[in-house]
Amino acid sequence: MGAQGGAPVIAEFWDYVSDADNWWGESGLLFLTWNHLRLAFFATLVATLVALPPAVSLGHRRKGGAVAVGLVNLSRAIPSFAVLVLVVPFSLRYGFGLGFWPTFVPLVLLALPPIFANTYTGLAGVDRSTVEAARAMGMRSREVLRSVEIPAGLPLMITGLRIAATQVVATTTLGALVAYPCLGTPIVRSLQATRDNGELLAGAGLVALLALLTDLGFSLLERRLSPWRRSTADPAPVASIDESGLTPVT
Amino acid sequence: MFKTRFRWLIAVLAVFSLFAAACGDDSSDTASTGGGDEPSAPVDGPTIKIGAQDFGESKILGEIYKQALEAKGFTVELVEIGGFRDILLEAFASDEVNFSAEYAASMLEFLNENAGEATGDADETVELLQAQLDDLELTALDPAPAVDTNAFVITDETAADLGYEKLSDLPADGEGLTLGAPADCETNPFCIPGLDRVYGVDLTGGFTPLDAGLVADSLAADAVNIGVLFSTSAKIADEGWVLLEDDQNMLAADNITPVVSNAVAEAYGDDMVALVNQVSAALDTDTLTALNKRFDIDKEDADAIAADFVAGLNL
Repeated sequence: MGAQGGAPVIAEFWDYVSDADNWWGESGLLFLTWNHLRLAFFATLVATLVALPPAVSLGHRRKGGAVAVGLVNLSRAIPSFAVLVLVVPFSLRYGFGLGFWPTFVPLVLLALPPIFANTYTGLAGVDRSTVEAARAMGMRSREVLRSVEIPAGLPLMITGLRIAATQVVATTTLGALVAYPCLGTPIVRSLQATRDNGELLAGAGLVALLALLTDLGFSLLERRLSPWRRSTADPAPVASIDESGLTPVT
Repeated sequence: MFKTRFRWLIAVLAVFSLFAAACGDDSSDTASTGGGDEPSAPVDGPTIKIGAQDFGESKILGEIYKQALEAKGFTVELVEIGGFRDILLEAFASDEVNFSAEYAASMLEFLNENAGEATGDADETVELLQAQLDDLELTALDPAPAVDTNAFVITDETAADLGYEKLSDLPADGEGLTLGAPADCETNPFCIPGLDRVYGVDLTGGFTPLDAGLVADSLAADAVNIGVLFSTSAKIADEGWVLLEDDQNMLAADNITPVVSNAVAEAYGDDMVALVNQVSAALDTDTLTALNKRFDIDKEDADAIAADFVAGLNL
C-alpha cells in the first residue's frame, strides 16, 4: 500500500530488478519487453502501410487537407482504452481471441493520424516555386514526387512516424487488460495481485525508457535526413504553414 | 532552431503525460449524485461519502445505502473509486470516502496479506476483520446474509465434454485448462492458491489475467475454459453455465459487510448504525442476484434498481 515513504519504494524496486528470475523467466521482463515491442512495431508498421499511400497521393495533388485535419482532431478525441474495450467483444466473437489482436486495433488507430497528417503536410507544404522549377526542368509529375517532394517532405514524414511510434510504445501497456503479456502486465499484476511496488516501477520504468528510446531513435533519423536543419541557425522551413493551410504535428 | 532545443523536454513530458493518460482511464474520482428524494428531516453531521467500486454490484449496493440514509435525512454522496481495494483504503485514509459496502472474507485477507484466516462463518470472519480494521480506525457493521464469493464457472458445452460438476473434479495438473480471472486471482486465497491448498489443483499454467468485465465474454467465446465470476452474477443462470460446486469448502464468508470510518460511526451513533444494519439484514443472496440481473442483463440504472429495493424496506 502507498502509505510508505519514498525510500522503501526505491528499495522494493531494487529488490525486484536485481533478481535475475524476474528478467529471464517464462513471463520475465525480457520476454515482456520483446512482446511489447513486437506488437508496437507491428502496429506502427501496419499503420504506416495504410496511411502512406493516400497521404502521398493527396499531398502530391495538394488536396484533402480537411480530411487530414479531421483525422488528427478525431484521434485526439477517442481514447485508446475505449477502443480497446469496444473491440474485445468483436474480437472474441469473430475468433481473434484475446491478447494480440484486440490490442493491435486501438494501436493502429492511434498511429494512423500523425503519420497521415504529417506525410500529407510534408508533401503539400513543399515550396510551390521549387515544384514549379522542377517542372520547368522537364520533370514529369511522378518525377517531381520522387525527386523533389518526397525528399523535401521526408523529415516531416519521419516526425509523424516518431510521434506515432512513441505513442504506440507507451500505449501498448493497455494490452495487459486483455491478456496480452506486455510491460503493462507487471503494472496490473502489482496493483491487483502482488502489491509489489518494485514490480510496478520496473514495468512503468521500462515503458517510459522504451518510449524515450523510440523518440530518440527517430529524432536522430530526422536530423540525418535534414542536414540543413543542423547547419543553419534559422533554416528555411520545408513545409510552410501558409502554403498548405495546415499545421503539422510536431 | 528554438524548437529543437526544447524538443527533449517536450518529448519527456509527452511520454509521461501519455503514460498517465493510458493508466488513468479506468480510475475516476468523479462524484455522482443520483436523483435522490427529499430527505425527511436533515441530520447534522459529516457528509457520508460512500465509495463504490467499478462493478455493478458495488454501484447498486452504494446506491442502496445512499438512498436509505438519505431517506432518513443524512447527507450522502457516492464516490466512484475504480477497481482496486488499496485505492479504497487510501481513500478511507484521506477521508475521500468514509463508508463502503465490502466483502468480509476478501477484505480480511487483503488486510492480513492473504494469511488464510477467513472461515465459512460470517460473524467469526467479521470479528477477525474488525481486529484488522481497528488500526485503520474503521468499523465493520453487521454482515448481510448475502454472500458473494468467487464462482468458478464453465460453459454447458465444457461441462458436457469434460463432465466437471465440482471443483474436486478438476485434474491436479490443470492440463489443458485455461482460467480467466482478474489478476488478483494469482494471490487471492480463494482463487488459484486456494484451489491448490484445498483441492490440490494447479491452474497457474493456463492462467489468463483479464479485466473483470471481460471474463464472461471470454468464457462465452471459449477464449478461456474456466471463468471466475461473482457467485451473485446473473450471467451464470442466464447463459445456462455450470457453477463448479465448492465441495470441499474452500470459499469463505464473503458476506456483504458495510465498513465505516470510526469518525462517522461516532458522529451519528446508533441512529445510523441501526439503519444500515436494517438495510443489510434485508439483503440476501437471491435478492442481490436478482438486483444484479437487472443491472447486467436488463441494463437498468443502479439508482433505479436501488430505489425499488429501498422502497420495499419500509424504513
